[in-house]
Amino acid sequence: MNKEQILEIISRNIGEVLPDLEGYQAKPSDKLVDLGANSVDRAEIVMMTMEELSLNIPRVELFGVSNIGELAEVIYEKLQ
Amino acid sequence: MKNYNNIIISGIGITSSIGQGKKAFTQALMEGRHRFDIMKRPGRQNGTSFIGAEIDEITYPDSISKKVLRTASFSAKTAMVTLDEAWKEAKLDDCDSSRIGLVVGGSNIQQREQLLIHDKYKDRFGFISPTYGLSFMDSDICGLCTEHFGIKGMSYTLGGASASGQAAIIQGLQSILSGQIDVCIVIGALMDLSYWECQAFRSLGAMGSDAYADEPEKACRPFDENHDGFIYGEACGAVVIERADTASKRKVEPYAQLLGWSTVLDGNRNPNPSYEGELSTIKKAMEKANLEPHEVDYVNPHGSGSKIGDETELKAICDSGLSHAYINATKSITGHGLSSAGTIEIIATMLQMKEGKLHPTINLDNPINTSLNWVKLKPVSYEAKTAINISIGFGGINTAICLRKI
Repeated sequence: MNKEQILEIISRNIGEVLPDLEGYQAKPSDKLVDLGANSVDRAEIVMMTMEELSLNIPRVELFGVSNIGELAEVIYEKLQ
Repeated sequence: MKNYNNIIISGIGITSSIGQGKKAFTQALMEGRHRFDIMKRPGRQNGTSFIGAEIDEITYPDSISKKVLRTASFSAKTAMVTLDEAWKEAKLDDCDSSRIGLVVGGSNIQQREQLLIHDKYKDRFGFISPTYGLSFMDSDICGLCTEHFGIKGMSYTLGGASASGQAAIIQGLQSILSGQIDVCIVIGALMDLSYWECQAFRSLGAMGSDAYADEPEKACRPFDENHDGFIYGEACGAVVIERADTASKRKVEPYAQLLGWSTVLDGNRNPNPSYEGELSTIKKAMEKANLEPHEVDYVNPHGSGSKIGDETELKAICDSGLSHAYINATKSITGHGLSSAGTIEIIATMLQMKEGKLHPTINLDNPINTSLNWVKLKPVSYEAKTAINISIGFGGINTAICLRKI
């Protein structure tokens, strides 16, 4: 799985949690909060993505990511 | 006559197995059109064949976003759409939101939804949806509704078993009388049973048996000689309670005035009813309403269909001097909404008053007590003006409300 595919999954989950953004292609520089995701939405999007990738990592390891690109990056690292 | 500040009901919303909205609900009530069948909603059967009345399909207004519909529970979504109907009728957009409150009647009402979530994540525990941390609490309904409608006064849930819906109305009107708020919306929330609760209710002897498994349309028969327990029915009701003067400022026509009410406890944890408790609550409500028994012309009883419950209630009604009044059983058509029942039946009472007609009691072939003035299998044209509604809940809860048509 490459980073683009991870970004793809994150985009799809954004569309699921925020139906107004269905079909939206997230850019690495996008911030979830700027897309209208509140704290619960953000937790949902991250959890759905991890579930899809069967990646059960402590949430603390995701602290500090500032945009979707960085999120995809951390997830990519963990999958290696 | 003591005037309790002229508390009235200015708006109604209803979503039930027999129809969404007042018009469809009233029509089905009058025609005795029900939806009793073997229940089909996921999480309601587990190799069993519980009978109940389920809501067919709900139409949601565009104002409720897809985002909310994705994460709200069935009980919460039903509450929102039901509140929407009552909100619009009472023109609450014209009201100061800081003076509006919301009481949600019912506790532990989302059992089926929780069962489905637990099943889904049974082998993926770590991935449980974070939203479950909000939605498992009944008070999520308060959060969703107050956010959507911008309610700022107060909001909480109130549990009183099968009397929740009526207890919530009593709490709502008391919050107005205390001056805390001017308008209180009361929701009798949809009790979403899973097969676990159905099985336990049946084991307790409260829910109807398999006797009518081949004829589910005959299972729900309050006050009939062949009754053998309550039959569940999905329903959610909403009423807007306020003083007559605040409703009149917004040019809203009230349905009925709440004349008197009472709560009496038996001091009993168990499900068995109490003649003394029921008699006392009926008398106290009439006394507070300053009504003599002969002035009450319609009784909307609890009428769950339980053998001992039905017998006890009819004895209490007769001994309160109400055997002359017309009586029917709303649950014979809607089923027992448990947490919502008290609200649904107050609504049914007001809609019958408005219609000038009393709905039939289906399956009432042979009433267990023939000294009462039954509306049996056919509706009766009658302008009921003053009514009493009775609710009874497990744990020794008895409530009654007297109302008068406006």
